[in-house]
Amino acid sequence: MHEELTALAERLAALGEQPAPPPLDAVNEAMIRNWRQALGDGHDWGEEAPPAMAQVWSMPGLVTRKEPSAADDILQTLNANGFTGVVATNCEHVYDRPVRVGERLTSTARFGTLVGPKQTAMGLGYFVTWYQSWYAGDERVAEMLFRVLKFQPVKRRPKGKPPLPAIGLDSEYFWEGAREGELRIQKCGECGELRHPPGPMCASCHSAKRDHVVASGRGTVYSYVVHHHPPVPGRTPPYVVALVELEEGPRIVGNILGAEPSEVSVGMAVELDFERIDDEVTLPQWRPAGRPAPAPRPVPERVSDWPALEIPLTPTFIISTALGTRDFTPVHHDVALARAQGSKDIFLNILTTMGLVQRYVLENDPDAVLSGMKVRLGAPAYAGDDLVLTGTREGDTVTVRGTVSLGDHVNATVTLR
Amino acid sequence: MSHTLSGKAAIAGIGATEFSKQSGRSELQLASEAVLAAIADAGLKPSDVDGLVTFSSDVNTEIAVARETGIGELSFFSRVEYGGGAACGTVAHAAMAVATGQAEAVVCYRAFNERSGHRFGQATASTRGATSQGLEFSWHLPYGFATPAAWVAMFARRYMHEYGATSEDFGRVAVAMRRHAATNPAAWFHGRPITLEEHQDSRWIVDPLHLLDCCQESDGGVAILVTSAERARDLPNTPAVIAAAAQGAAADQYMMFSYYGQTDLTELRAMGVVGERLWRDSGLTPADIQTAILYDHFTPFVLYQLEELGFCPRGEARHFIADGTIELDGKLPVNPHGGQLGEAYIHGMNGIAEAVRQLRGTAANQLPSITNTLVTAGTGVPTSGLILTTT
Repeated sequence: MHEELTALAERLAALGEQPAPPPLDAVNEAMIRNWRQALGDGHDWGEEAPPAMAQVWSMPGLVTRKEPSAADDILQTLNANGFTGVVATNCEHVYDRPVRVGERLTSTARFGTLVGPKQTAMGLGYFVTWYQSWYAGDERVAEMLFRVLKFQPVKRRPKGKPPLPAIGLDSEYFWEGAREGELRIQKCGECGELRHPPGPMCASCHSAKRDHVVASGRGTVYSYVVHHHPPVPGRTPPYVVALVELEEGPRIVGNILGAEPSEVSVGMAVELDFERIDDEVTLPQWRPAGRPAPAPRPVPERVSDWPALEIPLTPTFIISTALGTRDFTPVHHDVALARAQGSKDIFLNILTTMGLVQRYVLENDPDAVLSGMKVRLGAPAYAGDDLVLTGTREGDTVTVRGTVSLGDHVNATVTLR
Repeated sequence: MSHTLSGKAAIAGIGATEFSKQSGRSELQLASEAVLAAIADAGLKPSDVDGLVTFSSDVNTEIAVARETGIGELSFFSRVEYGGGAACGTVAHAAMAVATGQAEAVVCYRAFNERSGHRFGQATASTRGATSQGLEFSWHLPYGFATPAAWVAMFARRYMHEYGATSEDFGRVAVAMRRHAATNPAAWFHGRPITLEEHQDSRWIVDPLHLLDCCQESDGGVAILVTSAERARDLPNTPAVIAAAAQGAAADQYMMFSYYGQTDLTELRAMGVVGERLWRDSGLTPADIQTAILYDHFTPFVLYQLEELGFCPRGEARHFIADGTIELDGKLPVNPHGGQLGEAYIHGMNGIAEAVRQLRGTAANQLPSITNTLVTAGTGVPTSGLILTTT
């Protein structure tokens, strides 16, 4: 299959630029106004069109069938071979010169590259890249690179989180401790007896006076299981659940992290670790004794020289920007359909993301003239979320980061003239 | 024996639906069909019944069942807690009601679409609030420790560690149950025995439990009619006299997570509590039991129960079963109907019906000269048990 794909990619690349369907309308005030209103673009463009609109001129509108892209044959072949998943990863614009109201553009498309197979977070996949260019007469005015990852969907951890613990008056001290990095064992305030799980009354002396000790964090595996089936939300099988006997005596259930199931045994020495689930819940967990905890994922510093721009992603915003960019794909306006396709809700389209990055740059530097934008796409920006844009300018380069509650939605590098 | 329940009540009727994976009927219909079948089997009319008992986890209320079946007015109704641990407890409650004159004829029932509807084998999704039980779940579910198979496997691993039991020892239980089911036309796995190799090759569910260590999931209903022993003797069937009935919970008992305090994971103390009362009240010993119906949701706990009830010494169940002792032609045939691994998973109630058939002499795999049977309910949870006799 790989050879077939490679050969096909070579044939397509050899074709070079091919005519693409010409934009239906000349560059015009009405579409620019719709686009600016939808995106909240307040820049003074004069007679020019916002460069981020480049692709908008070629959008076919509400049609039953889209013209095939330059990568269509490759995408179909990948589908037929089980690489059915698709996610857009990159969109890059080069702006050769501004276009003006009244100009009638033409367009070409060419196949770029096929890279893979690569093991990715989504599964085994191929990156497929193609280009579209726009011309005024013989002069190229803009070019766009578009890259998707086509992947074999792997069995991923079931959607959702594991159930959170119910926290009551008798257990809240425990979860407070876990948040602060302590494993707390209930200790009777009268007779000193230790117990886990906690409860309101000492079974030995009937005192309701409760205290606790902080566990040393050392224990041994008293028993354990390796969970394979059925799927459990938020956990990827096979995983180990162990009953750990604490150095202090009581036993507690937790997962053994950082060890293959085959490495775990009854009697094995383990050390305390913690797994943060959310602001409320941190789970005490375990790893083999003497094995360092995996380094925490480096969190990129949120440096922003420019003030943050927070955009509430109302359904109106998502839908009007989709239509303002002439993108009628239903996942951007039809909630029921978006959900049926596995999305949480309707979400922002890529053409809008490009436009918002441009808007953010120009709001902070109204005199800037863009020569290009390179955008890496991340988590979807769903209706009901907030998109927060931050940015830093260094010389002629602005880096823009857009985050939503799920993480980074966009990381962009914008180059200025 | 005047201060015990022994000999006061008897099972006079049993009824069941077919056992399937998709009944195509409501759970209330299954319950009603089973209850009517038990009443008819006892030679009674619905209006003769004045009491109903079911599991706390059953979704069919006593009043709904009474409405559907035309039982009419009820003077006794009760529910028994802790999942499958309730099974024999329903009969114990009914027997107590009959013995004390609170009711004359009580039907115990359990009906569900446990395969086509809510499946107990799937991960429990919620702790359901900070109740005492919700808090119990809260120490386990967040770790993806969310299925009965996993909760039992935690015991099984320790048992293997302490006593040298192996997955093959567990497998021998599954092979025996499937052998029995193979010749029971009512069993889902009728005609489908398995080999130990097939057990070993079956996929992991929760290591150390393979798929074939786990009972099936079933749709169906079973009902058991209890009345006084005296009255039962006037009814058409050989009475299954309740020689002893017991419920049991251990110290430091949890719903299905009794891992804490001084609890030894190689024991099922709740079943020990049940066994002690069964032997004491019945005046019988393990040697008097010709067949045992042991709750077999997961194979390891069959071994635990043999030890806990005194059929063999602690830690030696694997040797006890090694030569076919628990099979139809063995010294102590266990679950001649095929159990829940082979016949159906009706939360233990189908096992009580089998014990009654063995005493009557009407079972599919009828054993010779059965006068005393022992039945247990769900294990790992607070549980219950019965000794039924012909006298």
